[in-house]
Amino acid sequence: MNKPFDRYASMAFFLIGAVFVWESRKISATSYGSSVGPDIFPMGLGILMMLLSVRLFYEVFRSKAASGEKQIYDYKRFGIILAAAVLYAFFLEEIGYLIGTTLFLFIGFQVIEPGKRLRSLAISAAFSVVVYYVFVVLLEGSLPGWPVWFS
Amino acid sequence: MGVLDFLANGFATAFQWHNLLFAFVGVLIGTAVGVLPGIGPMSGVALLIPVTASMTGGLGPEAAATSSIILLAGVYYGAMYGGSTTSILLNTPGESSSVVTTLDGYQMARQGRAGPALAISAIGSFAAGLFSLVALVFLAQPLSDAAIRFGPADYFSLMLLGLAAVSGLAGKSMTKALIMTVLGLLLATIGMDNVSGVARFTYDQPVLYSGLEFLTVAVGLFALGEVFKTILERDYAKGEVTKVGRILPTRQDLKDSAGPIARGSVLGFFIGILPGAGATLASFFSYIMEKKISKTPAKFGTGAIEGVAAPESANNAASGGAMIPLLTLGIPGSGTTAILMGALIMYNIQPGPLLFEEHPQVAWGLIASMFIGNLMLLVLNMPLVKVFAKIIETPAKYLLPIIVAISVFGVYAVQASTFDLLLLMGCGVAGYFLSRNDFPLAPLVLGLVLGPMIENNMRRALTTSNGDFSIFFERPLSAVFLIAAVLWLVIPLLLKLRGRKVIINEEG
Repeated sequence: MNKPFDRYASMAFFLIGAVFVWESRKISATSYGSSVGPDIFPMGLGILMMLLSVRLFYEVFRSKAASGEKQIYDYKRFGIILAAAVLYAFFLEEIGYLIGTTLFLFIGFQVIEPGKRLRSLAISAAFSVVVYYVFVVLLEGSLPGWPVWFS
Repeated sequence: MGVLDFLANGFATAFQWHNLLFAFVGVLIGTAVGVLPGIGPMSGVALLIPVTASMTGGLGPEAAATSSIILLAGVYYGAMYGGSTTSILLNTPGESSSVVTTLDGYQMARQGRAGPALAISAIGSFAAGLFSLVALVFLAQPLSDAAIRFGPADYFSLMLLGLAAVSGLAGKSMTKALIMTVLGLLLATIGMDNVSGVARFTYDQPVLYSGLEFLTVAVGLFALGEVFKTILERDYAKGEVTKVGRILPTRQDLKDSAGPIARGSVLGFFIGILPGAGATLASFFSYIMEKKISKTPAKFGTGAIEGVAAPESANNAASGGAMIPLLTLGIPGSGTTAILMGALIMYNIQPGPLLFEEHPQVAWGLIASMFIGNLMLLVLNMPLVKVFAKIIETPAKYLLPIIVAISVFGVYAVQASTFDLLLLMGCGVAGYFLSRNDFPLAPLVLGLVLGPMIENNMRRALTTSNGDFSIFFERPLSAVFLIAAVLWLVIPLLLKLRGRKVIINEEG
């Protein structure tokens, strides 16, 4: 058991439960003909969530420290890829699918294993073009193809 | 009409050329998913939902649902075939239900018997798949006939039982599993309440009115979570792939594995029906059972073909068995079936007792296609096993970013909103950190899928009883389900208190 994570997680889940209980009190009880409104279910679950997180906190408190096995995490690569993915997701509609996907894939390939740039670029461009062609041209789906300022 | 007539109609559906194609693509991708260590059946199915949704865009609603569920189910059982390949050739299981196969499978490969090991696991999977399908055909109708008499209170309790079963068996800590279940149920309440039409927890944000999309959450948690895990833990170093060699098993191999295949099929099927217990547990139990009844238990672990045949048959039979509660009761018993159920609901088709009456085309078409799909898998896997073994060598460098790109494409193609893409990324990160700390993800998805139905049934039951909660105990069927649910949670706790080791289901 990873103690710090579980401790913070139990607090976070307690808060989530509390927020749901608190917010569900604001839901107006509008369901005529029935005494069970839309607030009962989330409120009950929120209370249950709070109880469970108290129980988790207690379990973490009682458990012994984590065993010595240490895993080395590659936060640098993860960080770059995650950032690239979030930017890709955020700007997809602005820069369009073709450019966005090619860029993201190229960065991803190069971050995981640098080198063979031409090949990486070719694969990423090919992937985006094939997906775009199949989805938009053959299946008549809609994707933003090119940047908004192109058209 | 009798069962066989329905089945014949199902075959008529499944033999339409596009459905044959869908089944073929499904089992092909499923095998690849099983072979690739990075993606398991859950993320594979989740990733393909949006892809199939766009592929079936031109069909009518019911035909589209049939075709996509045929493909998605193909991925599910196809992965069970493929998972054995890496276990045998690389000593790394492609997914968790093939973990025990490594014990004897890899030893066989080292002795130069990789080909027969792969062939036997394909044959065993095929036999088990057929067995569980025949059982499914004959159990489906009676079960859904019984389930149709359930009232809202019975349904509510039955779904609680399903949740309890999955939470009780998933992961190392039951508290954590329960927290994830409740979190899934809570997230399901976001959006428009479909009984009263009141917006809940939306804070006037239009993107939240329809609730958090199940698909986005599932793809994020499983597919992206798995990619992030592989990147963070640098889990993509390759091992040495053993040569496959000759494929056909000898007559002695076949004779030795006939018994284990039969026993594994039956055991796996019944474990698969149980909610919460899935393919992983089935393969594990069948291996133990074979070892117990064998005359030469010392042989196990040194390359005994029985040790490959039994678990590989069991995990495939379990995946067939798991379709029973999903199709007849509308209760998914595992993470993957929860995702399949979410896919059906996306097509506005509610799994459950009414499925066989309202949408016989979907239900029987799926069952018939599973017969065809299993046959395709056998044909694919025997001669092409060498080709699939090559898939293992796909460099992670290209695979990982492409999985992210497919997730983004899939979610955007269905949802067309930037909010969903960002939610996808958030779920990916959350999925990784939660599963790294032993918070199981399957209960969360199950809660998210079952949440609205549990709430509806609860409120319908309470409305008939004027808000009196005792209705859940007064109806005998409902009371039985509730007691079973409580027992499912309490018994493992008691066993743990007495110092017993409780077997858990890692796959969920």
